[in-house]
Amino acid sequence: MTNPNAGSAHSSKSLFAKLRSWEAFLTFALILIILVNSTLIPQYFTIANQINLFQLSIEKVIVALVMTFVIINAEIDLSVGSIMGLAACLFGWLFQNGISAEMAIVIVMIAGGLAGALNGYFIAIVGLPSLVVTLATLIGFRGLARVLVEDRGITGFPDWFDALGQQGLIGPVPFSFFAFIVLFIIAFIILHRSAFGRLTYTIGNNREVAEFAGVNTAAVKMKIFISSGLVAAFAGLLYAARVGAVRGDVALGFELDIITLVLLGGVSIFGGSGTMVGTLLALLIVLNLRNGMALMNVTGHIQTGVIGLLLIVSVVLPRLELTRLFNSHNSQGTKQ
Amino acid sequence: MKMFKTLCFASALLVGASTGAMAQAISLEGGQDVDMVLLPKFLGILVFDQANEGAQEAHAELNNPGELLFVGPTPENSVAGQIEIMTTSATQGQGAVMLSNNAGDQIVPSAKAAQAAGTKIVTWDSPIPSGEGEDVFVAQVDFGSIGEVMADMALSILGGEGQMAVLSATPDAANQNAWIASLKEVLATNAKYSGIELVDTVYGDDQSEVSYNRALALVDKYPDLGLIMSPTTVGIQASSKAMQDEGLCDQVKVSGLGLPSEMLSYTLNGCAPEFALWDFRDLGYLTYYTAYGMATGQLSGEIGETFTAGRMGDYTIEEDPGRPGSKRILMGPFTVYTSENVEAAAN
Repeated sequence: MTNPNAGSAHSSKSLFAKLRSWEAFLTFALILIILVNSTLIPQYFTIANQINLFQLSIEKVIVALVMTFVIINAEIDLSVGSIMGLAACLFGWLFQNGISAEMAIVIVMIAGGLAGALNGYFIAIVGLPSLVVTLATLIGFRGLARVLVEDRGITGFPDWFDALGQQGLIGPVPFSFFAFIVLFIIAFIILHRSAFGRLTYTIGNNREVAEFAGVNTAAVKMKIFISSGLVAAFAGLLYAARVGAVRGDVALGFELDIITLVLLGGVSIFGGSGTMVGTLLALLIVLNLRNGMALMNVTGHIQTGVIGLLLIVSVVLPRLELTRLFNSHNSQGTKQ
Repeated sequence: MKMFKTLCFASALLVGASTGAMAQAISLEGGQDVDMVLLPKFLGILVFDQANEGAQEAHAELNNPGELLFVGPTPENSVAGQIEIMTTSATQGQGAVMLSNNAGDQIVPSAKAAQAAGTKIVTWDSPIPSGEGEDVFVAQVDFGSIGEVMADMALSILGGEGQMAVLSATPDAANQNAWIASLKEVLATNAKYSGIELVDTVYGDDQSEVSYNRALALVDKYPDLGLIMSPTTVGIQASSKAMQDEGLCDQVKVSGLGLPSEMLSYTLNGCAPEFALWDFRDLGYLTYYTAYGMATGQLSGEIGETFTAGRMGDYTIEEDPGRPGSKRILMGPFTVYTSENVEAAAN
């Protein structure tokens, strides 16, 4: 057995058992991290810190929601960080050229959708591998962002725009947090309660079989990549509002953090399996872990190392016998 | 001591809007407990480690029972990492954050939030462009003076007259172009340098191999060339290596802006007898004194305020000529390195 998740021969029951066990493991890890943090760090459980914890990474976790669809669909989107950067820079550039912030937001969202459609066209219609296409657009969109703002930073956005990213919308809780909650609920319903969600899994498991069954796989993939572009553009705008300034290197390298979150959540890089709850647990783990390490003054290199170790564990562990161990505890012998 | 401080304060009030040079220097009282963070652009760069050494020296000297932290992001995550550390410092209630800013104005909201939480923001090496969210910038050198520094080194190396060529980074590097323009202006306007002829300006793209080849090409093209002036740490090292490898160090010397640790052997063997840079240990030391003074409330951070920064002497807070409305402390001048002092700085 080389790949526990890609085979379509699995009964859905064993698949669910496996996912449930991985989520149990993540929940256990999350509780452990929260316990350690709250014991060692007096400021950890303050409202201000809990808000900071989310806000510092809110753009990444929002994009992770749509990345869950992309990877379950057995594709990858490396261009999300560049689309975020392009969106932020395009907003800055339009604003600087006298276009109102409201109008600029509309144009940026359209551009994000188009950027996603460009990826989708080459992947779904032309049939090129998403790794290659989005690697090319990762470079291309970033280049465009840098051309737009050159080496300058653009700042001085309207107060309401900055406030949206920096101040509380209801009490101290910022707009971006509510946006995340709403998007999570939408993503959960689409993935787990809709026909589109089932198609996403089916195509991710085996595209040929899905096509034989008469599924329009190109249309599903196109929709997923357009959504990816739209959500990334939205996240780019949130970033611009949060930091109140844009520069060509906005969100540089974010795609890897986002993909890490999704893989840690138990989504198989080969497609076909994973859940929204897994992604949610993974992002809570990473956010709380990072916050704890930062408050304990752990430097950047070690933080990166710890997150990297987590990813290795998350990719390797499900492929080891340990998974069976979890399964034997959590299910009634569904393993073949 | 308290009496003295009160007197200082009173005299500062009396002097009012007069120039800082006239005000009496505030002597900082040590032993006060304040936690501070030294936040470089990212970790793993020698000059930032040196700045940390300087800050640690000042920390020990001022006998601060609080903690001095040296934390930074990774190079790939510099912007987001700096914002995160700034936010975390505010949560921790740090007395001051000493920031070498790599995030442009993106750092402003988190820096302002830290200020609102009572944390002083002192920038060094690289300021916040808009000056917002920043209490004061400790500037290493006055960048306008660099032309004169290079002309003086050329004068000394060439012994009064000779041919010189510039090997720069890229044709569109804004800082290098400004420095070369400043050099040309000094050479053209000051009679002291009339014996020096600037024959060419070439670009090594800040890549070692390209710079190496450009340096050799200069020697071929100008048989009477006496000096290659390279205002970039990559160019000066590559040129020195080229002259050394080809055994040309007796005819053509190298100078410019370089790191002592990288230039040590070339300075000792005479290929690059003089070069300049600022001392990052001193920069960290002065930054610590400034931040300590402000975090303990001994300095108000107003323009014209003068204080004594330990072994480095008196400094005055002034308006930053490059960023109107913002405040700076000018460390300057450049440190010129020769075989006399390069070894001490390289370690």
